[in-house]
Parts: sequence; C-alpha cells; structure tokens
Amino acid sequence: MTRINRRDFLRGAGAGALLGAYPLLHTVAAHAQFTDYRALVCVFMFGGNDSWNMVVPRSQAEYDVYAASRQNLAIDRDSLLPIAPLTGDGVDYGLHPAMSGLQSLFDSGRAAFVANVGPLIEPTTLEQYQSGSVILPPQLFSHNDQQDQWFSLKGRAQTKTGWAGRIADLIRAEVSGQQLPTNASLFGASLFQAGDDTVAYVMGPGGPIAFEGFADSGFGLAQRQAFERIIGADYGSIYERAFAAVQQRAVSTADLVTAAIESAPALSTPFPASQLGQQLETVARLIAVRERLGMERQIFFVATGGFDTHDDQNELQPGLLGGVSDAMKAFYDATVELSVADSVTTFTQSDFGRTLTSNGDGTDHAWGGIQVVTGDAVMGREIYGRYPLLAIGGPEDVGGGRFIPSTSSDQFAATLARWFGIPDGDLASVAPHIDNFAQRDLGFLV
Amino acid sequence: MHTAPISLTRLQSLAQVLCLGLSLALAGCGGGSGGDGGAGQPPPPPPPPPPPVVISKAEAFRFLNQATFGATEAEAARLQALGIEPWIDEQLALPASLQLPLIQGLPPVQFPFELNDDRVDIWFRHAIGAPDQLRQRVAFALSEIMVVSQLGALNNGPWALADYYDMLARNAFGNFRTLMEDVTLHPAMGVYLSMLGNQKPDPDRNIRPDENYARELMQLFTIGLVELEPDGTVRVDAFGEPIPTYDQPIIEGFAHVFTGWHFAGAPSFLLARPTPQNQVQPMQLYPAFHDTGPKQLLNGVTLPSGQSGEQDLAAALDNIFTHPNVGPFIATRLIQRLVTSNPSPGYIERVAATFDNNGAGTRGDLGAVVKAILLDPEARPTVGMDTDGKLKEPLLRVTQLWRAYDGVAANGSYAIGGAYIIFGQGPLQSPSVFNFFSPFYAPPGEIKNRGLVAPELEIATEFQNTFLTNLFALFTFVQNQQNPNLREDQIAIDLAEELSAAGDPDALIDRVAGKLLGGEMSPTLRAEIAGMLAQIPASQGLARAAEAVYLTVTSPEYAYQR
Repeated sequence: MTRINRRDFLRGAGAGALLGAYPLLHTVAAHAQFTDYRALVCVFMFGGNDSWNMVVPRSQAEYDVYAASRQNLAIDRDSLLPIAPLTGDGVDYGLHPAMSGLQSLFDSGRAAFVANVGPLIEPTTLEQYQSGSVILPPQLFSHNDQQDQWFSLKGRAQTKTGWAGRIADLIRAEVSGQQLPTNASLFGASLFQAGDDTVAYVMGPGGPIAFEGFADSGFGLAQRQAFERIIGADYGSIYERAFAAVQQRAVSTADLVTAAIESAPALSTPFPASQLGQQLETVARLIAVRERLGMERQIFFVATGGFDTHDDQNELQPGLLGGVSDAMKAFYDATVELSVADSVTTFTQSDFGRTLTSNGDGTDHAWGGIQVVTGDAVMGREIYGRYPLLAIGGPEDVGGGRFIPSTSSDQFAATLARWFGIPDGDLASVAPHIDNFAQRDLGFLV
Repeated sequence: MHTAPISLTRLQSLAQVLCLGLSLALAGCGGGSGGDGGAGQPPPPPPPPPPPVVISKAEAFRFLNQATFGATEAEAARLQALGIEPWIDEQLALPASLQLPLIQGLPPVQFPFELNDDRVDIWFRHAIGAPDQLRQRVAFALSEIMVVSQLGALNNGPWALADYYDMLARNAFGNFRTLMEDVTLHPAMGVYLSMLGNQKPDPDRNIRPDENYARELMQLFTIGLVELEPDGTVRVDAFGEPIPTYDQPIIEGFAHVFTGWHFAGAPSFLLARPTPQNQVQPMQLYPAFHDTGPKQLLNGVTLPSGQSGEQDLAAALDNIFTHPNVGPFIATRLIQRLVTSNPSPGYIERVAATFDNNGAGTRGDLGAVVKAILLDPEARPTVGMDTDGKLKEPLLRVTQLWRAYDGVAANGSYAIGGAYIIFGQGPLQSPSVFNFFSPFYAPPGEIKNRGLVAPELEIATEFQNTFLTNLFALFTFVQNQQNPNLREDQIAIDLAEELSAAGDPDALIDRVAGKLLGGEMSPTLRAEIAGMLAQIPASQGLARAAEAVYLTVTSPEYAYQR
C-alpha cells in the first residue's frame, strides 16, 4: 500500500477522531517502524530577529563594510565573541557579545548556523527580483505573512497546514502507540503545527494544568464525568463544537501528562528564569518521560518575543540574543543530562531578518537572516549556506539592506525533516518547493 | 459520607498562583491566511425590513451579548420594552465614560507603571457598570483592531494608554477619518509603532524613515494587504492571484510622510521626553525633521515636494480613507468583533455600503456602521445556521458573569491588573499589534476544512481553556458574596437568589439559565446540573448554587455568542 493511499484511508477513518480525544488513535495498529526516539524543538523569535548583529564578520575588511552599513547599530568589533568554523570562507566571524552560551556550543561542535536563509519559491537573483521574472512569496516584509511562510512553507498556495503538522500527518501510522500527539506547543496554537489529520496539544509554559475539583472518586469523579458529558454533547454551531473539542482534549490529556511529569526525577541542569527558559525546561521534563508516554517522535514549539526592534535596538538586543543563547545552552545541557543529546535537535526560526540600514535607533523588516541549529546530531562548528558581504546596494540587496535569501526555508526544513525520519520521496510534502533547489539537504545533520 | 463539592484549599492555592502570576511573553501572533474571512456565498438581496415583533428574552440576550459586555435580565427587560433601534439610538447619544480623569484623580505614585492596575480596574468598572455599554463595547472592538499595548515601552505610559482608550470611545460613533487622525497622532500609538521620533532620511548615516507605522496603518487598521470587492471577497487578477494593495515603495512613501512628529511642547525634537501631560496630547510636528521630498502613495497618487508635515499627513490620511477597501475591511473587522466570525458577503456589502454613505452622503460614519451591523438581518436571524455568531473571548465570558451576578469586590474594585496573564487577554494588553488572535484564524478540523474562521479559538487552547475553567471554579465556589472569608479586594458574585432557590433544584436551574442564557438551556446541560445538585445535600445550598453557575459558565453553550 502506498503512503498516499494509507493517508487517504486514515483521513476517512479518522475524520471523527480528529476532533475527539486522542485515545482513539490507539485503535490503529502500531507499525513500529521507528526504532529510536527523535525530537525537533523549534525556538521561534517573534518580531523578526536582527541576525546580522548575531553573527558578524570580524575580518577587518568585511567588518568595515558591515560597520559602514550599520553605522550607529554596529556591534563593536572588539566585543564580538570569536568563533572558528571548521570550513572557512576566508572571513573570520564573531557572535554578539551576549551569546557566550552559543559560542561554547559552536566551539565544541554542538551548534551550527545557517546563513541568509529565508522564504523562497525558487532560487532568486536581484535581476530576477527587479524584472519580476521570478515567483516570490507574497507579502514579503509583513510580520504575520512571513511568520506563516516559515510555519507553512506555503509559498503562493492557500495551504492551511504547517510543515510540522504535515510531518505529523505523514508519520501518523508509525507513531500510533504515542499517548500524546507528535506536535506539542508551549506557546499557543500555531500554524506551524496544524496538520490535516493531526492537531497539536497546547500546554502552558510550565506544562499542562489539571482541572480543579476533578478527582478519581467521590464527588470529584462525578464532577469530572458531568463535565465530560456536557462537553461531549452534540452542539448546533461550529464554534461550540470546536470549543468542546479543545475541552475534550484538555480533560483527556492533562492528568496523563501532569502525572508523567511529576513521576520524573528533577533535572539538575539550571535554566534561566526567563519565559523561554521555563518553556525549554518543561520540554526537557517532557522528553524525560518520553518512554512512559510511549513517544517516538516529537516536535515541540517554544517561542519568545520582542525582536521587532524598530526602536532602541542597541539597548534591547543584548537581552534578546543573550536570552536565546542562555536558554538554548541550558536546554542542550539538559539533553546531555538526559542522555538524549544526539536525539534532540533544536533550531530557530523568525519572521525575517532586518534591514542593514537604520531608521535612527532601530531596523525595519527585511527578508533573509541567520538561523541556529544545536544538538549532537548537528555537524557543528560550521556556517552553512553563504554568508553575504554586508554592503548596502550589494548583489543580494533589494533596497535598504534587505537581503534576498541564498538558501530557502524549504531547504532548511527538508534537512530537519529528513533527519527526523521523513523519506526522500515525502520531502516535497513537507517542503513543497524543495524540488526547485539543487541541494535537498543542507548537510547540517548526521 | 459526602465529599466537599470542591476543595476550597486547592482553589485558594490557585488564587495564590494567580497572584504570583504566570508569565506570557511578548510576541507576535501566528495563524491566519492571506485570504479573507467571508463565507463565500453569493450575496443575497437585502431582505425587506422585518415587521415589528415582540422581542423574546432569548433574542434580547442575543442582541445584548453583541452590543454590551454581557446580557442581564434587567437590560433585557428594558430592551423588550423599548425596542432594538430605540435602544441603539439611546446608546448612540450617551457620552463616553472616560478613564483618564479617574487615573488623574488618583494619589501620586512613585513609578508610572504602578497605575496600570488602576487602568485595568477602571476598564472593568466601565465594562461591568458604565451606562454607555455600546460605546464601550465598540471601543473595545477598536482596541483590538488599532492595537496599542501596555506590554512594552507603554508600560510606563498609563496616562497615554487611558487617553488612547478614551479617544477610541469618543470616536466610536464618530467619523472614521477623524479616528484615523486621532490614532495616528496619539502618543501611545507614536510610541507603540515608533512614529514618534521618526525623522527624515540621513543618507550619510544610512538612516531612512521608520516603516513600522506606515505598514501597520494600512495592513491592520484600514485597508489590508489585498484588494477587496465591496462584499469583502478578495479581488484576483487574470491569473487568479490576489492583488496587493501596496508595495514597498508605497510603504516608504508613507514612512516619509510620518516624519518629524514627537511629544508636544518640547524645546526641540531631539530633547522631547515623555511627561504625564504630553502623553495625552496629540504629537507635534517639528518641521526641521520632516522630509519634504515627493512621496508615493496609494492608487498612483504622489505627494508633491515642499509640503508641510501637516499637509502631507492630511493628504496621506485622505489617500487611505478614500481607498475603496476601507468599507469592506472595517465592516468585516467590526462584524467579527460584535456579531459573527463568518459574515456572508451580502452582510459585509450592506455594512460597507453604509460606511461609504450613511444615507446623508457622508463617508465613514461609524455610528451608522455600528447600527447597520446590529440591525442587519444576519445579526437578527430568524432561521439559525451553524455558522451564526462567534465564540466569546475570555474577557467577555467573565464580564457577562459579573454583570449578571453583580460581581464586584467589597471595596468596589477589580484588582485584576494582570488580566492578560490569567485570561490570555486584557484591555490594551495584546502581545503584539496583531491582537490576541488573528481575524483569519481557522482551528484544525471542521472550521478549517470548510474554509471558515473562528478568531477567538486561537486563544481557546487546551491550556487557556483549562485555566479559565479553573478561574470560573474560583469565581463561583469561593469568590461569592455569601462567603464571609473573603478579602475586601476579591471580586465576588452575588448568589443570594440562587441560595434562596437551592432547596428546589429545578427552580435553581431556571434562575441560572435565566440570568446567563436568556432562559435557553440545553436539555443536556440541565440534566447534568440536576444530576450534580442531587449529589449535594440540600443543607449545602451555597454549594448547590455555585455548582449550577459553575457548570453553566464553563459550558460550550455559554462560551458561544449566538
């Protein structure tokens, strides 16, 4: 049976299960095709990270070009934290001074960067952009549209699924023994994790919470059962039905997950007391109980905001970038403590990169940017893709220092998806434009 | 042995958790597609006006849940006596209940942010008790379209936030062009979307004007990203592709328009600093910092060089205001906030036509638009469809309970400053300019598969729903006025009537159904409440009363705005 047919069958058979409680999934026979555990953790930086100040050229000539472009927003050369990629492009680079955690991960080969990556439908040159002879993602430079591009890779299609959601759809039969969905979010519902056949489970930053007053016996049991019958009733409007479906998932899952988390020994790795730190600590605790929950494949969504630095960028950036660096370093250390560092790959995404030019004290919306990948499966201490010369009016600049990506988000996602276990023949279901690019795998994962 | 219906200790500890606060980050919102939220049906011809009919209690509740912060039996009775249109006219004539004078009347504080909790307290007082309910509800809707937020730099601008909200309330039934200008020049918006302090280009330093306000004014507040038909459906080109309303050069044109403005009354542009006074005055032009070159606007218009900042601003706002998208765009947004997530194209077209011309030749009359939204046959349907209505957002679920049950603390306050933390939303507390939820959000399943949307579902996650369900346990079982052990700042509902009916479960359920559901409770909910009441001894009347209210306010039928 081909995968397409099996998916179609599951879609038909599972139509009722989609909105209902997860345990219905257990009736599907286990395929047991995965023999290991793997997890992807997406760290989303909402607002559009100004990554040209995250990884910066240190060689004098390239730094001078950067400094001339950036003017009052340039990071002082002497304060950059040096990094030494194994494969050089002839330029020395350094990290923003607040990112010592990432510097140590990079130096030890546990982290890599992907340079000038962003949404593309096909390889795009400046000449093609200016002459209109290339198909472009719609509404470039708009927050929500470009977030959606990163989430969904939809290009110009009207797709309403995310690439993590489509991965979960593809492996649905293989992971039928899981007690939680493949996708879990600690930062609200997102298009990234929306599938056709699967939905994400949304927790709080500290994990799920239990329903007050519900119990396994006595009045609390009766209360829970009455509540479940009320939310399980037939409703006449689409809004009541959708609301009731969320409540059903919440009731059926909260106790399971809270009990599992409470059963796990405490982590000794300290996490920063930030929103992102709390979310990643919860992810680590969930990974610690993966066997108890029967999990084989998981995609976690965590996020942090404030990156839309139109104003006060010099004051805000240390906290923003330092916060991401510290939290990702702590999370990596926790995966080492849990002996899953080679099974868990963490990666960043963000709305877009930002303009090289300044608006006085900040930057505006642009296009390509730099993303981070960490974990022991990462072929680390490398900068993948091509890091451009940061010149205004250069060969990638569509105006104001907005850079055309030289690597596509589809390539980035396909590389992650292949490592996760998606066969080559299915990559186009995850990354719809991957066949437009010569390199289907950027090579940053083993 | 009877177990206590619900553990007061656990709920009190929940209350402590709430005081400690959970942290939710500042972030943009995801979700949403490029399309529009229309239901995709051909527009039906405008039906004839309905004959005068007696308004049922259920219909009165439906209307009041659209037009106020929650239906009450008393207001429903007034509405039934008065009629819907006279009720609207009465509301249109009421002056705005204002926040700023109340903020300014408070004792001085050491740090401005200390007044944020007072601002939220005042918002709840107005939502629960102000007479100008329709104006306040429309102001709330506008605050979710033309978003500024306390989360960020405005944390230190409580006066600016209060005055911004007052400005929305004053303009709620005024002209949209005035609203556009008042929003544009308000220092709260100036700070939030960084038009304040935006200066003309300085090519030597690679500095060009800030594009933030230019972009969001068009994308989120007025016309949207793509051209719309008068009925709100997306216009497409010969290849079936949506037609963008603007491109990057137009963004840059407007960015140049919005240069030179800063806090009023400063000795100079560069020395302008916020004060309690200039936070509530329109921004002032400092001409030396305004770009005087030509500027490309919408629809092929280019502003000539050499105009003053005021001339540029007026011409640029006129340019947007006269764009044909504004009517269907703002009609769709307001209908979604007040009546239904999925208005038909015909409904949008009728309201947009009122925006274009209020009947007296005036464009942008918001009072007429609001009236058209509420009186439209689709807002007052006689035959139900499963797409009618919307999900109530968390604040509206809570305000309706407190309005119906006189919920207030003994000291008269609503000490709930961290509303966004516990409800997932709070007044002027959005995580980003994209509001708490997207107008295009489609939850997976039936709604997405049918091409429909349900914006409020975006924050109705497993986590947030559970949290709110637990809050309702707290707000019913613990925080009621019959509980003698409350602090004077704990908001408490009055269960006296239910307590007196508690010996007769049917009568008790009738009371709750009457107050919260306009008398229309589903047989399932009624049976389940009856079953639970039977497990609570008659001697525990208060527990029975709280149980009935709790199961009702946590039910899907209460979360649904018909």
